[in-house]
Amino acid sequence: MQFEVLAKCHTTRARVCRMKLAHGVTMLPTFMPVATQAAIKGLTPQQMEGLGVSLILNNTYHLNLRPGIKVLQEAGGAHKFQGWNHNLLTDSGGFQLVSLSKFTKITEEGALFASPFDGEPTMLTPEESMSIQHAIGADIIMQLDDVVSSLTVGPRVGEAMQRSVRWLDRCIAYHQNSGRQDKQNLFAIIQGGLDPDLRAQCLDEMVKRKDGVAGYAIGGLSGGEEKDVFWRIIKQCAEKLPEDRPRYSMGIGFAEDLLVCVALGVDMADCVFPTRTARFGVALTFKGPLNLRLGKHSREFIPIDDNCPCPTCSDGVSRALLHHTVTRETSAAHAVTLHNLTFQAQVMGRARDAIMNGTFPTYLREFFSNYFGDTGYPEWCVNALRSVGVDLLEHNTDAKVVEGDGAKWEYSDAS
Amino acid sequence: MSYTRHTSTFRFELLPSSPESTTGFGPRLGKTCLERYGEDGVLEIVTPGFITSTSRGVVPHLSRDNTDATDAIRWAHVPFETFLEHTPPVPTLQSGSHPLHKFLGFRPNQHILTMTLRDPSDDREMPANGHSFVSAYSLRGVRKVSPGDWRKYVLACDPDIAIALSDTPFTTVAHSQKRTTKSLERSAAWLADLLQAVPSPGSEGPTPRLNVFVHMAGGVIAAARHAFSVSLLEPLYEREAETIKPFTHLDEGVSGYTFDLIPLYDGLSPSSRFNPPTPSALSTVEETVEETAAALDPPHSSSPTAQLVPLLHASLVPLPKTKPRIVHSAGSPHVMLALIRDVGIDLFDAHWAQRAADIGIALDFVFPAPPGAPDAPKALGNNLYDARHAHDFSPFADSFRTCADADARPVCPCIACSPSRHAAPLRMSALDEPLSEHAPTPFTRAYVHHLLHTHEMSAHALLTAHNLSVLDAFFACVRRVLADRPADFAGEVERFCVVYDGTMAVWEEAKATWAEVALARGKGRLAREKERQEKDALGTAVEL
Ligand SMILES: [Zn+2]
Ligand SMILES: [Zn+2]
Repeated sequence: MQFEVLAKCHTTRARVCRMKLAHGVTMLPTFMPVATQAAIKGLTPQQMEGLGVSLILNNTYHLNLRPGIKVLQEAGGAHKFQGWNHNLLTDSGGFQLVSLSKFTKITEEGALFASPFDGEPTMLTPEESMSIQHAIGADIIMQLDDVVSSLTVGPRVGEAMQRSVRWLDRCIAYHQNSGRQDKQNLFAIIQGGLDPDLRAQCLDEMVKRKDGVAGYAIGGLSGGEEKDVFWRIIKQCAEKLPEDRPRYSMGIGFAEDLLVCVALGVDMADCVFPTRTARFGVALTFKGPLNLRLGKHSREFIPIDDNCPCPTCSDGVSRALLHHTVTRETSAAHAVTLHNLTFQAQVMGRARDAIMNGTFPTYLREFFSNYFGDTGYPEWCVNALRSVGVDLLEHNTDAKVVEGDGAKWEYSDAS
Repeated sequence: MSYTRHTSTFRFELLPSSPESTTGFGPRLGKTCLERYGEDGVLEIVTPGFITSTSRGVVPHLSRDNTDATDAIRWAHVPFETFLEHTPPVPTLQSGSHPLHKFLGFRPNQHILTMTLRDPSDDREMPANGHSFVSAYSLRGVRKVSPGDWRKYVLACDPDIAIALSDTPFTTVAHSQKRTTKSLERSAAWLADLLQAVPSPGSEGPTPRLNVFVHMAGGVIAAARHAFSVSLLEPLYEREAETIKPFTHLDEGVSGYTFDLIPLYDGLSPSSRFNPPTPSALSTVEETVEETAAALDPPHSSSPTAQLVPLLHASLVPLPKTKPRIVHSAGSPHVMLALIRDVGIDLFDAHWAQRAADIGIALDFVFPAPPGAPDAPKALGNNLYDARHAHDFSPFADSFRTCADADARPVCPCIACSPSRHAAPLRMSALDEPLSEHAPTPFTRAYVHHLLHTHEMSAHALLTAHNLSVLDAFFACVRRVLADRPADFAGEVERFCVVYDGTMAVWEEAKATWAEVALARGKGRLAREKERQEKDALGTAVEL
């Protein structure tokens, strides 16, 4: 990996970086669309290329089940298997193991779980996770970590953090012996739950191992914790992580979360949200999400967003036609997915330009004003951005502020 | 020049090379031309050819960019009934030129659109039609559509071709002869309604008119079918004559004929709810109809298709031969070939090939069939659900090469076999460097096998584009044989039926594997969708 910081925001901790991997350059900050099973829902790799996307994510747990490592090896890796010639990231498989498997028992050796095929006890060790990810061949691979829900409290959280550090050592050792460091880049995952002391310990230990890792992810969040705690953990981690390594916030996808994370110093994020919500008929826009299933769109002969460059809007596909076809025709899901991924890419692309041009604080204020102007700013966003020197309410004293998590898309358009 | 509604001219030319047949019904080579007044270019479609089926107004599984990338899609058939969920139907409110094209995303310079009320592949039982309405199906229940409503919708949407309402019963009640007679009368009256002169905007330019196709009524009673056609040729008088002025008889205003096979198959099946009455007085008509070519039909459809032929003849005998003939819901290339050969059908809908894409089949056949006799009949396609494709990194079809091959096989130009780089990828920031350049590689069976087993929708996008392209190549080759060596055509049809499995075992196999995968995922579809699924409605095998 070649990693270069091109510019830093003069106010916040946001930065623009150039990350060159074996399959090309990806500019950061960026949002990574998720192709869980080696396909972005309904789309072809050519369509993803058309959106200018250069980095997507595959899930190791799923690919290991289907098509299986043997098929991927025969194909010459996951890139060739799915016809994707650009950058690819795989997770370790640990997170899905814990969330999707019937029983999972964590031992020092690894995660013991029931095989989804025959129910037999099966062990996923750090070495095995590396080996699977080597077969998949992604440009960025993740260490196996000991995942606990962000709502867990007590000694288990510290134990998981410490084990994740030990497993990182095993992943580094295995990866270095494989001789694949020139093609595949190992990222560590910071754990420690919602406890700042544990996070600090984890950061200390993992930063010590910097020479063995190409980048860092912030794990253990996005699991229903309070947003006010969420941003503080992100801030703590981003501040402590080395300048010359990319920082990846796992499972983050709402536009407001993305921009707050970027302002706190995060470079990469992924989430299934934009593609999943598209299938349910929700289109993301700079003025907030639109639920295309609602009757009020049935006679709207305008695109989702007149100014959107996506194939759906630029071709003038009307909200009325989408209303007629969403949740009934797969092509409507494709149309909204193309749009939503473009929206995510625009949110991040505009952030890159703004950071480069020294206008990122203005971009943040404008974005939040358009997105939340009507319904109210989530208080946690206001607080998080104040912590890095941007006051969303500046010159805007009568703006409404909403307490709590303020995930606008859930209640948007409830008319 | 500004756009004026209803000024597209539809013409059909039979090419002189069409082989003559002693029965008067043989294969024909033709060309449809759609010329839009004031716009450049003529949309030419050579026949025999096909028409792409749509569901809720769109080609199932293809986003607009992928529809555009599929050259095989030149003519689309749009059943309108799903739009009856709103009053007035939403497409009728679309402003601008070519409103139906615009609303649905078809290109006036690339696509011909036919608008019809009912989905020709839907044979669900329906409440009876009335004297002045057709019962149509929408998700919000059955809707009654009068000829006046239909004309209003057609005028507002400005499709290139409109199919007149037809009284085709989909009820369980046995149809009496009186009912049949009434049905013919209604269908003729409803056609007359659509043929009324179109109000002219009054400016210069051609007189606006609709390009109207008529469904050949009469069900499975040859005599009734013949009688319907005869009625189209009879001069009208008084009020009726006034309605269709300047035409003197209905057929004069008709641009072409359509045949829906679903109600015919239903009527011919011994277990039919349609139970046709014995033809009586009019049955002498049948004697004028040639009995043809049952022997050459594929084994599986031998009786039904053979029985269809005289019924289609009965309709066509009285009518001019110069108008195009469209068949809906032909269930295989075997049936299509038989109807080209024995009836001179010009266009078929692609429902069959599109449905194959729903259930995981990549079509893989060519015409003429490859030389040599196989030990067992070859399948028309590859069931990519099947485990034998899990490690199969070959492209979708053996009969075609991909953009990456260089051999004598014809190339399949679809987005799966010959993907091409996006011409102008979006750049989301000024900093972004162009994506690294790689020649895209053809998609493999192993990949689509994986996508099918993980219920990824991308599988169906790739298969739909591929299957339509294979069907396109099939018709191109049919035309080539008819043009270059017409005398061999019947022989090639016969050989095709021997080489390729007309029983479509692969179809049943794919449906079975589809069901297993759906079951394994433990996800059932809504009951309503299940019913459509069993009826092979387009798009319904795929989970969103
Ligand atoms: Zn858009
Ligand atoms: Zn193909």
